[in-house]
Amino acid sequence: MFNRKWFLATVMMLLVSLLLVACSNEESSSDVEQVLKIANDQEPAGLDPHKTPAHSSVRIYSQVYSGLVAFNENMEIVGDLASEWEQPDNQTYIFKLREGVTFHNGSEVTAEDVKYSFERIMAEETASHIASYFSNVESIEVLGEYEVQFNLSSPDATFLSNLTNASAAIVDQEVVEENGDLQQVAVGTGPFKFVEWVPDNRVSLVKNEDYFIDGQPKLDEVIYYTMKEESARLSAIRTGEVDMTTLTAQSASLIEGEEAIDIKSYQSLEYSYVGFNVNSEPLNNQKVRQALSLATNRESVADIVWNGDAVVSGPVAPSMGDWAIDVGSHELYQNDIEKAKSLLEEAGYPDGFEITITTASTYADMVDTAQVLQQQWEEIGVNADIKQIEWGEYIDTWSNTSADILIGRNGSGTDPDRALNYFFHTDGSANVWGFSDSEYDALVEQGVVTVDQAERQEIYNEAQNLLLDLSPNLFLVSPMKYVAVRDSVVDFTPYPHDGEDIVEVSKQ
Amino acid sequence: MYAYIIRRLLMLIPVLFGVSVVIFFTLRIIPGDVAQTILGTDATEDALAQLRKDFGLDQPVMKQYFSWMGGVLVGDFGESMRTGRDVLPDILNRFKITFELAILSAIISWIIAIPLGVIAGIKRNSKTDFTVRIISLLGVSIPNFALATVLILVLALTFSYSPPVGYVGFFEDPIKNLQILILPAIVLGTAMAGAVMRMTRSSILEILRQDFVRTIRAKGAKERLVIFNHALRNAMIPILTIIGMQIGVLLGGTVIIEQIFSLPGLGQLVLTSINQRDFTVIQGAVLFIAFVFVMINLLVDLLYSYLDPRITYK
Repeated sequence: MFNRKWFLATVMMLLVSLLLVACSNEESSSDVEQVLKIANDQEPAGLDPHKTPAHSSVRIYSQVYSGLVAFNENMEIVGDLASEWEQPDNQTYIFKLREGVTFHNGSEVTAEDVKYSFERIMAEETASHIASYFSNVESIEVLGEYEVQFNLSSPDATFLSNLTNASAAIVDQEVVEENGDLQQVAVGTGPFKFVEWVPDNRVSLVKNEDYFIDGQPKLDEVIYYTMKEESARLSAIRTGEVDMTTLTAQSASLIEGEEAIDIKSYQSLEYSYVGFNVNSEPLNNQKVRQALSLATNRESVADIVWNGDAVVSGPVAPSMGDWAIDVGSHELYQNDIEKAKSLLEEAGYPDGFEITITTASTYADMVDTAQVLQQQWEEIGVNADIKQIEWGEYIDTWSNTSADILIGRNGSGTDPDRALNYFFHTDGSANVWGFSDSEYDALVEQGVVTVDQAERQEIYNEAQNLLLDLSPNLFLVSPMKYVAVRDSVVDFTPYPHDGEDIVEVSKQ
Repeated sequence: MYAYIIRRLLMLIPVLFGVSVVIFFTLRIIPGDVAQTILGTDATEDALAQLRKDFGLDQPVMKQYFSWMGGVLVGDFGESMRTGRDVLPDILNRFKITFELAILSAIISWIIAIPLGVIAGIKRNSKTDFTVRIISLLGVSIPNFALATVLILVLALTFSYSPPVGYVGFFEDPIKNLQILILPAIVLGTAMAGAVMRMTRSSILEILRQDFVRTIRAKGAKERLVIFNHALRNAMIPILTIIGMQIGVLLGGTVIIEQIFSLPGLGQLVLTSINQRDFTVIQGAVLFIAFVFVMINLLVDLLYSYLDPRITYK
C-alpha cells in the first residue's frame, strides 16, 4: 500500500514536470512573437526611394524595395532582382530578371518596371538625389519580358556598385501614378511590406510571405519607433520595451555590462573631416593647409571625441578595405609641430593667424572635434574661434562655402569613385571647397573608366596620396557605430555598408 | 456680452495677419534651403532647382505670400514640403496629443498647487508655509528637461520601468495612453504648480487682509466657509490669469518634453519642421498656435466675469 502510494505520487510528479517542460519548451521555440521593435533617433523624411536620401527613410524603404543587384556580407556584388547579368562590352549591361517575382500588390515585376524605375530616377522633374549616379546611362532597352539592357555613354567602373544603392529601387509604375509620388506609400518587392507610418511615432512593416528568397525574412513584423531622445532610447532598451536601437559611443559604454543587452559594433564607412575654403586667405596657401594637417593629432581626436573607438582615416574610409591607403605612414599624419611651424613661416605666417571654425550644434561629435582642433592648433599659433550653427543653416553654409573652416562627416560610399571624384573633382557635385587640380582631375577621370581592378586600385592610390598632399580637406578619423540589441534577438550582424540588416534576424 | 465676444473675435483678424506676415518673412530671411536639406549632398543643381520650382520658391516672395494666404483664408494650409501631407490635418492630429498633455499637466498642477497655496497663505510664516515656499521655488527653478531626464533614468535604473513605446490615442487604449502621458504630465505639472502655488499664496494673503473677510468672520461664519466660499473665489482672478497663460504656452507645444518622451505632439512637429526648413508646416503651425493662444486668453477673460460678477463686458 505504502509503496504503491509513493509510486503513484512519483509518477504524477514526473508527468507534471514533463508537462511543464513541454510547455516551456514550446514557449521558447515557436510561441515567441516574431515582432522586432526598433527605436530610432530620427523620423523618416518620406518613403520615396528615388527622392529621399535621409538615412531615417533609407532604413525603412530598403526593407520594402529591392534593386537589381546588392552587396553580400563581404561587400561583393550579387544578384537581387536580377538573377544574372552580362557585359558584352564596357558600355553595355544586360540583366536577366528573376521570373515570377511580384510586387506587394500582386503585379509581376518585368523588364518594363526596371526601365520605368530608372527613367523615373533620371527624369528631371523627379528631382532625384541619385540622378547623377546614372547620368551616363544613355538608354534602357527592354529585350524581353525578363531581360533589360543598359547602354552607357562611357565605360563606368562604378555602375554596378551604384545599382546596389537602396535608392536605386525598382518601383511599380501603377503605384506611382495612382499616388503622384511614393512619399506616403511603399509597394516594393522586398522582404517586408509596408503597413503604416504614424508621423513622429512609428512605422510598421509585416513579413512578405512571397519574398523571392526562400526562408527570408524570419520576423513576422517590424516596428520602427521614433525616439529622438537618447536617454529615452537607453531606458527603453534597458527595460526591454524595444529590442534594438542605435547608440553613441558614450551611451554604448554606459550599458556595456548589462546582462540582457549585447552591444554590436562595426566600423562605419564614414569619416570626419575639416573642410577648407581653398579660395580664401590664408587657406588658399597649400603650406598653411599642410601645417594644419601636421598640427592635428588624429589619435587624440579619436580618443577624446569617439572614446577611442575610431581609426585614423584618409579620404577613403579604412572599412573600404584594399581601396583605402595606409594613411598612418603619410608624412602629414605625423603630428610634427616643429615642421608645421616652419611651414607656416614659409607661407608667411610666422606668428600664426586668427580663424573661425564652423560646426553643427546638432551633432555633439562635430562640436567636440572643433574644440579638440582649437586646442591642438594653438600650439602653432593658430587661434581659432568656434561658431556653432544649427543643421538647416549648416547645410546652407556647406553648399555656399560661406565658412573658412567647416567640420563635417562624409560617407565614403561603397566605391572609391564617390569618395574621390564626387567630393574633390573640379566638377564633383559635392566639391563645394573651390578645390581644383588638373592632375588630380585626370586621375579620378581615369579611375572611373578603368575596369581592370588592379589598375584601378593603383590609380586611386595615387589620387589619395596626391589629395593628402594638396589637403583641400583634412581627413580625420572613421568612427565605430553601435547597435544595442536585447539578447532575445538572434542572428543580427551589422555590416559597414548596412548596419541594420534584419532579414536573417529572429527572436527567441 | 455677445457683442464683446464678437468684437474680441474680430480682433483675431489683425493679430493673425500680423503673425502671418512676421513668420512668413522671417522664414525667408533666415539661412537654410529646404531643397538642399531634403536632397542632401548628392543632389545636382538641376534637381535642386526643380524641387524649388515644385514648392513655388522660385516665385517672387510677395507672390508666394499671397498665394499661401489665399489658401489659408479658405482653410487650405497647403502641403508639407517634406512629406507632401496636408498641413492642417497634421496640425490638428498633433494638437490632440498636446491638448491632452496640457490638460493632464494642468490638473496635476491644480491638485498640488491650490490646496498647498491656500494652506501656506492661511498659516503665514509657519513651518508649513516655509516648506510650501521651498517646494514651489524648486518647482519653478528646476528645468523641465533636467527633471524629465532624471525621472526617466531613475525609473529605468532602480525600478526597471520605462513607459511603453509608441504613442496611442486615449480612445484606442486608455491605459497605455495614460501610462505614456503620466510622466511628462508630472514633469510639466510640477513646474506649473510652483508658479500657481506662489500666486495662490500671495493672493489669499491679500484677500484675507480685506475688510469683507473681517466682516464675514465677525458675523460668525465658519473658517472653512470664509476660506473656500469667499477668500478663494476672490483670490482666483490672478491665479486664473497665470493658469491661462501657462496653458497657452503648453498648447503651443512643449517642445523639449515632447521630444524627451517621444510624444508626437505639436511641439515636435514645429521643431522637426524648423530643422528641415519645411516652410508650409512652420507657417501653418505658428498661425494655429497664435490662434489657440488668443482663444485661451478670451476664455480666461470670460471666466473672470463668472468668478466676479462685478466684471461685465459690454
